[in-house]
Amino acid sequence: MPSLRADQAVQRGPAVRFVADGCAVDAFEGESVAAALFAAGWRELRRSPRDNAPRGMFCLMGSCQECVVWVGAHKLPACQVPAAAGLEIESLDFREQRLG
Amino acid sequence: MSGNARSSTACDAVVVGGGVMGCSTALHLAQGGMRVALVDRGPLCREASGVNAGTLTLHMTRAALVPYAMRAWRMWMDAEKWLGMGVLATPVPGLTLAFTEAECELVELRARARREYGAPIEVISPARAREIEPGVHPGLLKAGYCDIDGFASAYLTGRAFRHALTAAGVDVIENTPVEGIDSGDAGHVVRFGAAASRPPLQATRVVLAGGVWIENMLAWLGVQIPIKVLVNQLIITERVRPVMRTVLSVANGLLSLKQFANGTVLIGGGWQGEGDRERGGVEARPENLVGNMRLAAYAVPALAEARIARIWLGLEAETADAMPIIGDVPGVPRAYVVGSAHSGYTSGPFMGRIMAQHILGQQPELPLFDPARLLGMPMPGA
Amino acid sequence: MAEAPPSPIDLLVIGAGPAGARAALRAQACGLEVLLVDENSDAGGQVWRPLPPGFTRAAGVRSSAEAMQGDALRDELSGSGIRCLFGHKVWNVGGSLRTDLIGPEGVVSWQPRALLVATGTTERVVPFAGWTLPGIIGLAAATILLKSQNMLPGRRTVVAGSGPLLMAVASGILKAGGDVAAVLDLASRADWLQTLPSLASRPDLLWQGVQWKALLGRAGVPLLYRHGIASVEALGNEFRVHAQQVDMTGAPVAHAAPVVFEADAVAVGHGLVPGTDVTRLLRARHRYEAARGGWIADADAQGRTSIAGLYVAGDGAGIAGAAAAGAHGELAAVACAHDLGRLTAEAHARERNRLLAQWRKPARFGRAMAGLMALREGAVAGIAPDTVVCRCEDVTRAEIDAAARDGARDMNQLKAWTRCGMGPCQGRTCGDVAGALLAAHVGNREAVGCFTGRAPLRPVSLAEVAGDYTYADIPIPKAAPL
Repeated sequence: MPSLRADQAVQRGPAVRFVADGCAVDAFEGESVAAALFAAGWRELRRSPRDNAPRGMFCLMGSCQECVVWVGAHKLPACQVPAAAGLEIESLDFREQRLG
Repeated sequence: MSGNARSSTACDAVVVGGGVMGCSTALHLAQGGMRVALVDRGPLCREASGVNAGTLTLHMTRAALVPYAMRAWRMWMDAEKWLGMGVLATPVPGLTLAFTEAECELVELRARARREYGAPIEVISPARAREIEPGVHPGLLKAGYCDIDGFASAYLTGRAFRHALTAAGVDVIENTPVEGIDSGDAGHVVRFGAAASRPPLQATRVVLAGGVWIENMLAWLGVQIPIKVLVNQLIITERVRPVMRTVLSVANGLLSLKQFANGTVLIGGGWQGEGDRERGGVEARPENLVGNMRLAAYAVPALAEARIARIWLGLEAETADAMPIIGDVPGVPRAYVVGSAHSGYTSGPFMGRIMAQHILGQQPELPLFDPARLLGMPMPGA
Repeated sequence: MAEAPPSPIDLLVIGAGPAGARAALRAQACGLEVLLVDENSDAGGQVWRPLPPGFTRAAGVRSSAEAMQGDALRDELSGSGIRCLFGHKVWNVGGSLRTDLIGPEGVVSWQPRALLVATGTTERVVPFAGWTLPGIIGLAAATILLKSQNMLPGRRTVVAGSGPLLMAVASGILKAGGDVAAVLDLASRADWLQTLPSLASRPDLLWQGVQWKALLGRAGVPLLYRHGIASVEALGNEFRVHAQQVDMTGAPVAHAAPVVFEADAVAVGHGLVPGTDVTRLLRARHRYEAARGGWIADADAQGRTSIAGLYVAGDGAGIAGAAAAGAHGELAAVACAHDLGRLTAEAHARERNRLLAQWRKPARFGRAMAGLMALREGAVAGIAPDTVVCRCEDVTRAEIDAAARDGARDMNQLKAWTRCGMGPCQGRTCGDVAGALLAAHVGNREAVGCFTGRAPLRPVSLAEVAGDYTYADIPIPKAAPL
């Protein structure tokens, strides 16, 4: 799949690998986790509460709360989490299943 | 229409105040054959009755009010039958928790006091409590257990009552502030503010059901009874995975916790914010938010990660002896008052029913709470 | 909660975008002790978003005018010595203007003498069938993705909605090597031509618009005026986008032939809504002005609200565009400096007149753009009954209409009866559209009001607020009566 990253105008920072739901995701340091997951083809991040409909990033400015993920003990909008080496992300469903 | 002092509508009873007490009174009066008007300065059940924690517990109810709360519990659980619409009332067991020796004593004391009034509360070991509620803090020392407990979604109350009241033929007058009541031998005339452009309402009987504003309403009738205003803080979380399955409180009375079917957790306990009856709830006190949240996250450690979605305030009424004010307005014929039951939502529907029974000339199922006792009674700490 | 450091703050500015950052600089120049806070990692707001840390501009590539403005602002700020708290979210503000923040080290509170809210806007998207599908993002969101993350929304994107962001996103996608399946604009060519007089002072923007159109023309991108999205179907990882012709109110034109586009991404936005979280929380007076984005704090030309010490500036005070925002921020800063006694009436008058003159022309352009972005009632009327309106709680249009028929007359009653607005976004995403739906029943937009402002302004966890503690640390007020 051709990359969604547009490198015409920028030089990205160092390549990093982080873990999301136990899977390795390749990204560049400083990108938002939401964008990095999106570029990796991971568009669905959670399910809506009543209709169980798939949801993903939407506003990209930390307002809509659609892209929330777990980062350790913190639930944060993925669009406001910078990708870093060794970061461990869990989607809401994944953590809920893990905790049983 | 304005300037015409002659009232154009006459009814058997006008109920002033559309919270759960007023709504229930009006509904039962109408079902008893009276022509009833129900007035509120806002929409129905949007003050305390719509914003409280919806706890239907006996643990935190005044011991002497247990028989009332037990009957009201049944009414809430059956709301769909007599209101036509429910408030998602959910029966679950209730645990009141003790984390210190002093709280253990409180648990025993409070259980005993409530058992005397018929509450099926037993004191259980921490091991048994953990079987019932696995998510509770491992440092639990003792708990009071009651299988008659549960919760409702208070914000659904207005819509539910509106349906039933309209179906019963009650004239529901919302968003219409009352300016005063003129009482005489011919009955009562309820006057509205000029902005309402509505003629005064003539009624044989008047029922004051204004919650914290009962003090103002009694003053319209020339009666001075102080009503204390509590400004309760409430916190609701986002939807979280199932972390609890009972209604929880702490023996010191400062925590109420429940998780709704939609996963949100409601944290209450009567921690005080800023506000008064003129301005309503104004803002939360940060130190009291911290205290309430610490208690919640201590009782159910899995809550620590939960994000808060909203914090709000509700005004609760309390009389000088912390018991309800339900009965005849002293010195004013055919005027009644119903309210201030402290945890009034829990008992509300039943309090309205017995108020209506009294007004209809029937024997109330349980004794009322004579307002006259409060005349001249000083408010503690005033 | 953590104690704030001892030095007193005169002015706390929330938001380090064009308005807030310029306000902070001007306030400092007037001798005020300033604290500037922003949830992002650096200044610039949405419109001048910095590159992520670690990214650099490619050698030999000329920065855009916008990028240069943003970099210049950030340089000026860091050289000014103004105390900045980046990466901090405001979660509560008290009546005393005490501001509670959450940052990397936990919660912290500051008590300023005055507060300037320059929090900008959020995006409005009028719902359509399929709008919640992953891969459908906002127009402003697409702008952030392109300019900050340097990423395409997809290989082939439908760009739809209204306002100046349409062309900016479409051309941004093309320049970044992506395809644009179509541009669907609710506006007509005539609507755009009407904004030309306001562009008289901005030949650079006019030229940019011409260049963007030419770029789209060369790429053969269909540009459909008076068209909107009727629905989007997901087909595996692709979308089938059903476009429909609309009238000037945004309502679907009956019997018009539908047009279908294949794409793997949709960027859609119907304007910007001023952020009034803080001013609503503080119960400042607000008024509804559709042409300025919707509900705004009732403020004078210098940003003074109905609450003493509380100021608003920038698009969050009513959309007037980024170019006007800086002057607006400075107007609020000098008004505050005067109100705090640091500027004489004469000096204030001089500054105010100078800044008002600076503000006028860019504001005229910004307001013309705001007009293009204003909510169109027909577009709201065209929302199908089973379409989700409140994303957080899955509340459909049908449920909102049912509540209105049952007697809901204001937003808070709507919220109580349907849960619309009770979710984590606090009604920021759905509020304007839900308000328009309710107002259609009630007959009056102002009468339905807005959701009551409540803390937290952004979600915070119990652990973050509670901090570290033992049971003995919990302050126990008096025990409940027996």
